[in-house]
Amino acid sequence: MNLLPSISRLCTGVLITGALAFAQAPKPAATSATPAKTYPPELVTAGETTFVQHCAFCHGRDTAGGEAGPDLTRSKLVADDIDGNQLGPIVRNGKDAMPKFTVSDQELMGLTAFIHTRKAIAESQKGGRRGVDVADLQTGDLEKGKTYFNGAGKCASCHSPTGDLAGVANRNQGLRLFQRLMNPRSTKVKMTVTAGNQTLTGIKAYQDEFTVALRDSEGRYHSWPTSKVKFTVEDPAQAHVDLLSKYTDDDIHNVIKYLMSLK
Amino acid sequence: MNTKYFLALGALTLVAQAAFAQGTTQAILAKPPKDSWPSYHGDYTGQRHSALTQITPQNVKNLTLAWAYQSGANAQIKASPLLVDGVIYFSTPDNVYAVDARNGRQIWHYTYPANKGFHIGSRGVSMYGDWLYFMTPDSYLICLNAKDGTVRWKVQVADAAKGYWTTMSPLIIRNHVLVGVSGDFDNLTGFVRSVDPENGKTQWKWDSTPPAGTPNTTTGGMTWMTGTYDPETDTVFWGTGNPTPVLNGASRPGNNPDTCSIVALDPNTGTKKWAFQASPHDTHDWDAVEIPVLANMEFGGRQRKLLMQASRNGYFFVLDRETGEGLVSKPFGPVNWSLGVDKKGQPIPNPAKDPASDGRLIAPDEGGLTNYRSPSFDPKTGLFLVSARPSYGIYFNKPADGAFGWAGADYGVWSKGEIQAIDYKTGNAKWVHDLGGNGSGAGILTTESGLAFTGDGQGNVMALRTSDGKTLWHAMQGQSMQSSPITYELDGRQYLITSGGGVMFAWALPED
Repeated sequence: MNLLPSISRLCTGVLITGALAFAQAPKPAATSATPAKTYPPELVTAGETTFVQHCAFCHGRDTAGGEAGPDLTRSKLVADDIDGNQLGPIVRNGKDAMPKFTVSDQELMGLTAFIHTRKAIAESQKGGRRGVDVADLQTGDLEKGKTYFNGAGKCASCHSPTGDLAGVANRNQGLRLFQRLMNPRSTKVKMTVTAGNQTLTGIKAYQDEFTVALRDSEGRYHSWPTSKVKFTVEDPAQAHVDLLSKYTDDDIHNVIKYLMSLK
Repeated sequence: MNTKYFLALGALTLVAQAAFAQGTTQAILAKPPKDSWPSYHGDYTGQRHSALTQITPQNVKNLTLAWAYQSGANAQIKASPLLVDGVIYFSTPDNVYAVDARNGRQIWHYTYPANKGFHIGSRGVSMYGDWLYFMTPDSYLICLNAKDGTVRWKVQVADAAKGYWTTMSPLIIRNHVLVGVSGDFDNLTGFVRSVDPENGKTQWKWDSTPPAGTPNTTTGGMTWMTGTYDPETDTVFWGTGNPTPVLNGASRPGNNPDTCSIVALDPNTGTKKWAFQASPHDTHDWDAVEIPVLANMEFGGRQRKLLMQASRNGYFFVLDRETGEGLVSKPFGPVNWSLGVDKKGQPIPNPAKDPASDGRLIAPDEGGLTNYRSPSFDPKTGLFLVSARPSYGIYFNKPADGAFGWAGADYGVWSKGEIQAIDYKTGNAKWVHDLGGNGSGAGILTTESGLAFTGDGQGNVMALRTSDGKTLWHAMQGQSMQSSPITYELDGRQYLITSGGGVMFAWALPED
């Protein structure tokens, strides 16, 4: 889906080398010489105004991170974005802690132009970059990390370096790996609901104090008032959350070092 | 005409004046009648506790929608509305609305011109006489005519081009309009400015930090929430924000005085009487701007003038507000960054928990164990109710991040929401009401009948029993509440005002 087909027509002029603009994208094109787009200055300027009003508080005025919001110049989603096809749905529907915003197509084109332009500028900077690099997360002790994984952390009770975690360092690196270690935020949480003499198991779709909902194996949505049923929730990520109050900072750095060796 | 007639006529005029009063007065701001909510907190104490008792724990299950006002705007309502003379006034960034408090009909709508300020929220307008005071995203204070929303005057409070913005509802004390500022993305000085309500001229300005560039000092200490006021001692209490650069403390050695602090100011001159620092040398963005709630209560065997704050850094503080002496300093959730408290009751930061190049796991996260949403204090039970958010985050800082503005990076990794009822004498929670995932953006209102109104992070608005936290009523609003509830009585009917997204809801018991 390309929300912003007209951007292609607007984008003429000098091209920045793609190796810079897409240096961190995971696809083969990421490190190829595919040229990045440049955008008309007036579109970038309009996008900056919208960005400052609604996005800059969390993502920083230069898109490189601010209060609570991630650095968009290092974002996988931005790297994968083509003319707003990834950004548009996130801006308009929200994601995790990010609220949704109602923006016109023109405003979204501006936002897209501004974000991609700032990304290209950030990646063209020489010397140490702000933010979190893979190189920053090498301070741990691999052997101690392995010991923690198999011992105190009880990681081995759910994970295996030759099973689910084989090659994990190729799939997740640096900050992304760090965040997933702290909390993988499972999207498939098992929920079992007993209403009367019927029991249904599926993937949790919603839960608050008053309502629970799941999707059954056929993808059908069911909801109930919590006061009328019994239910259980099994979130595999809960074991990660339970560790947050137990970790030392050394534990975390050691485990990351170990995980980064699983290639 | 005889004397009797004159007396009767006089009485009639007085009655008419009371019934058709115009705007607010100092007397109304200090002791609001039940048919008004004339300032951000409702009154000067910040207790957000109402004397109204029509809605009770017994009948609250019957609460029903009286009206809804759809602003039609994208912006979420984060304002605590005012209710004066039967009219509700509230704001979103660039917008002020006047709405009939009886039926939700719009009376007027003012729109400020488009600008490049941060549009993250507008916490409400303030009122003095017939005039409203509204702060804009690009740091202007606008005086509007409450009758029709026309502009009376406009003054610049701070220079938006330097990185300031404003969101707060001014605090009005006699002829002083007290305003504060925001601005974390540049190394800027925070301040409270007192403005003349008639013409916008500055009366005094108190700076929380020295000018940028002063060697070995800090900038920051933003003043972005409405303070509270004690008329008996004529003292203003104001919370200040974090020092800047935010996550890099190396360039600003020492405690960075008057940042992350509660300060006591003289409203006539801006002279500081005392300060208590909630987070000395903060490196985690934990503003201490949460409401400094005032109450006269028994403590340690005698009646004392107290100030209570549930602070973003995770500590619940009780101070003697006449002296600033710390009486209680106690974490109200996971807190892993301090080495305890000093003899003044101020937490001692653990340097090992400063942001670092390889990351540090910190509780709470940057959003804090609570944030700007109003807590409520119920003097009858001695319970301080706060919307809490136990959380963990990871904090990074390295030389390449520099020493300007944010100067680092941080990421929340986990959080949950809960309402806590804290015993003011001990700091211990009497009960905790789980709100599930997502911290709530709603403040709390308690009423003398023993009810607490608030919301969860999913969009439910609910009434809890203050004494034990049991849910007695709820309704799904469709979007989570991002404001603090208020209540008032009109025509003998008590209304509760909440919001969800860009919609304002009024709830009441069914009419007979």
